[in-house]
Amino acid sequence: MTEPLKVLIVEDEALLAMELESLVEEAGHSVVGWATSSAEARSMIESTDADIAFVDIHLTDGPTGVDVAHYIGEKKRSMVVFMTANPKRIPDHFAGAIGVIAKPYTMNGLTSALRYLQEGVRRPPPVSARPAGFTLSPAFEAVWAPAA
Amino acid sequence: MDWKRTREPADAWHMTDDLHVEHGKGDPFAAAIRATRMSMVITDPRRPDNPIVFANDAFLRLTGYERHEVLGKNCRFLQGPKTDKAAVAQIRTAIEDNADVSVDILNYRKDGSTFWNALYISPVSNDKGEVQFFFASQLDVSDRKRSEHRITADKDRFEKAVKERTAELEAALEAQTTLLHEVDHRVKNNLQMISSLIIMQRRTIKDEATRHSLATMLERIEALSTVHRRLYQSKDVSRFDVSDFAKDLVTDLLTASGRSGIKPKLELDPIVISAEKATPVALMVNELVTNALKHAFKEGPDGTTAGRIGIKMSQPDGHFKIEVSDDGVGMAEANGDASFGMRLIKSLARQLHADIEWRDAGPGTKVVISMPNEPQQKGLSHD
Repeated sequence: MTEPLKVLIVEDEALLAMELESLVEEAGHSVVGWATSSAEARSMIESTDADIAFVDIHLTDGPTGVDVAHYIGEKKRSMVVFMTANPKRIPDHFAGAIGVIAKPYTMNGLTSALRYLQEGVRRPPPVSARPAGFTLSPAFEAVWAPAA
Repeated sequence: MDWKRTREPADAWHMTDDLHVEHGKGDPFAAAIRATRMSMVITDPRRPDNPIVFANDAFLRLTGYERHEVLGKNCRFLQGPKTDKAAVAQIRTAIEDNADVSVDILNYRKDGSTFWNALYISPVSNDKGEVQFFFASQLDVSDRKRSEHRITADKDRFEKAVKERTAELEAALEAQTTLLHEVDHRVKNNLQMISSLIIMQRRTIKDEATRHSLATMLERIEALSTVHRRLYQSKDVSRFDVSDFAKDLVTDLLTASGRSGIKPKLELDPIVISAEKATPVALMVNELVTNALKHAFKEGPDGTTAGRIGIKMSQPDGHFKIEVSDDGVGMAEANGDASFGMRLIKSLARQLHADIEWRDAGPGTKVVISMPNEPQQKGLSHD
């Protein structure tokens, strides 16, 4: 059995964070923290040992999600997946993130994405099909899903 | 030649005698030059600094000088601070090259006032081809220049106004795009929240029938979510690629059902519909696929379900055609939810002006929906 993921949620909407936490835990993973702002996210990435951070672009202190991703990328402690209703705000280089789960995701879409990411983080490249609504960054596309 | 600097104005007309000598022309010619309304001067390049040796009355009227003030002087006394240096250079070059020149130049009168001078200078040569004089005529074109300036100023003002208006419109468009993105963002977030609320509520419920209802409701909401996730992905927000959507929807529903024995068969031509049709089409496809998943397949003796769900989308003749088929047990038996689902499908079909037909496909069922759709753009089919 592949080792479950430790997830940090960076999301300003309580309802969405709450539900995401339930879905992550139902899928057998654990949530190590929930940050609502870029400052909280920065300190939590220091204080937790998250494998992966789900980062919304819009946080309580504005559209700071991309900065958070940059910061996490520099620390090299954990990987980042954007989770946003506004994927157009993500820069072309994805700030080092694996990819983006576009909102609104479906329950199954998220569960599939979690499985795909678990495979990708623990034993890359992932073997599952890439779920609908999940887009890889160009850098990860090259490694995880090279053109056949 | 015995030109003298001390020559008196009264002697000036003798110039014409000299011209007469040189060119062999008669007095009537000289008299005409003296009397014409066109301002004219003659200069002598063989003398130091090419001075004026003849000026007619029109020149004196135009410039405000007395004859004795201009004779023996180079014409540059007409220039002033605002005279264009390039125009002066042009004249100088022409004189040095013994060439004709025609130039508009700002000149100054004796009283300091200015006028636009349409100056024409041409060299006058003798039989041997030696330049003996320059003949210059001056025309006051201040009025023309003024209207030229006015036109230029009008044009500049107009261009400025257009530029300002364009900037305003661009800003308005930018604001509108930002607003669209903001609203889109909120719609998507709210759909996510509605899904989350249903999922959370469902977790607290024990009753199987209620749980089932909430699951069906979630599927419908998620079909709408999938539409919205796909809606603004293209540059043209008014178009919707229904085949991409169908792929997402079917993959999602099949994986969610957990029945890996049921395989999808997708034959999806890239078909674009207008954005307002996206939601009803999506809901209809969702009903048909979930209906098939729930009712068409029976569990085998080993507890697994095997079968095939097919979706075909094509536009053979200006009609957008959707076929949802299964190889299950035949016409779906009706229960409470299915009949609501059926009503939903029929109402959506009416909204879309679609014909809908259930066929016994033996084995299984095939539902064929056909609705008018706008012609597809060429090139899309090659994507």
